[in-house]
Amino acid sequence: MEFLIELLASITMLLGALLMVASGIGLIRLPDVFCRMHAVGKAGTLGIVMMITGTVIYFLPSDLSVLFRGLLAIFFQFLTTPAATHLLARAAYLSDYPISERTAVDELKTYLPSRPDDLVGGAD
Amino acid sequence: MFYTVCMICLAAMFVTGLMCLYRIVIGPNAADRAVSLDLLATVFIGVICVLCVIGGSAWYFDAVWILTLVGFIGSAAIARYMEKGKVL
Repeated sequence: MEFLIELLASITMLLGALLMVASGIGLIRLPDVFCRMHAVGKAGTLGIVMMITGTVIYFLPSDLSVLFRGLLAIFFQFLTTPAATHLLARAAYLSDYPISERTAVDELKTYLPSRPDDLVGGAD
Repeated sequence: MFYTVCMICLAAMFVTGLMCLYRIVIGPNAADRAVSLDLLATVFIGVICVLCVIGGSAWYFDAVWILTLVGFIGSAAIARYMEKGKVL
């Protein structure tokens, strides 16, 4: 039983750590701010949720209070990270940060004609 | 065996933190740095989880959800500042 719990916890934590590394690679490799937000907001959130789940599984037979604290942490993580990423993306778009030249379609620009045209391709 | 898995997870967190610091140093503008700081706070939460498992005690586990809320407040403040709005 103890071996089974350790096996489940290690599989979940290893998957979470792998997703976190994927998020970091996306943070370095992707071309502009909005693509990087995509990497952080999805892979990072799922990775930390899986790591919290692994910790909860490990402590579950000995300490039940970890379950409620872990559920609280997962709830807040799912509540706050997409909101923070959305706020940052909106702020970055409204303050005229450049987007990648490989962007296929920019639907928000039809509603915001004041954004200048020469910002495409200026990103790293 | 389980200790080795925890060490591998800590090494992965370390590598991710180094990637965040690299993006913070070379990031072309403020939004890149804000996103990197967001991921760095997440990495700290993961490190706290792994340290709880290694130490065998759940006393630090409250810091996980508290750090989540503090990281959100930081990101929201930076976003409001970039929009040149009122922060509070």
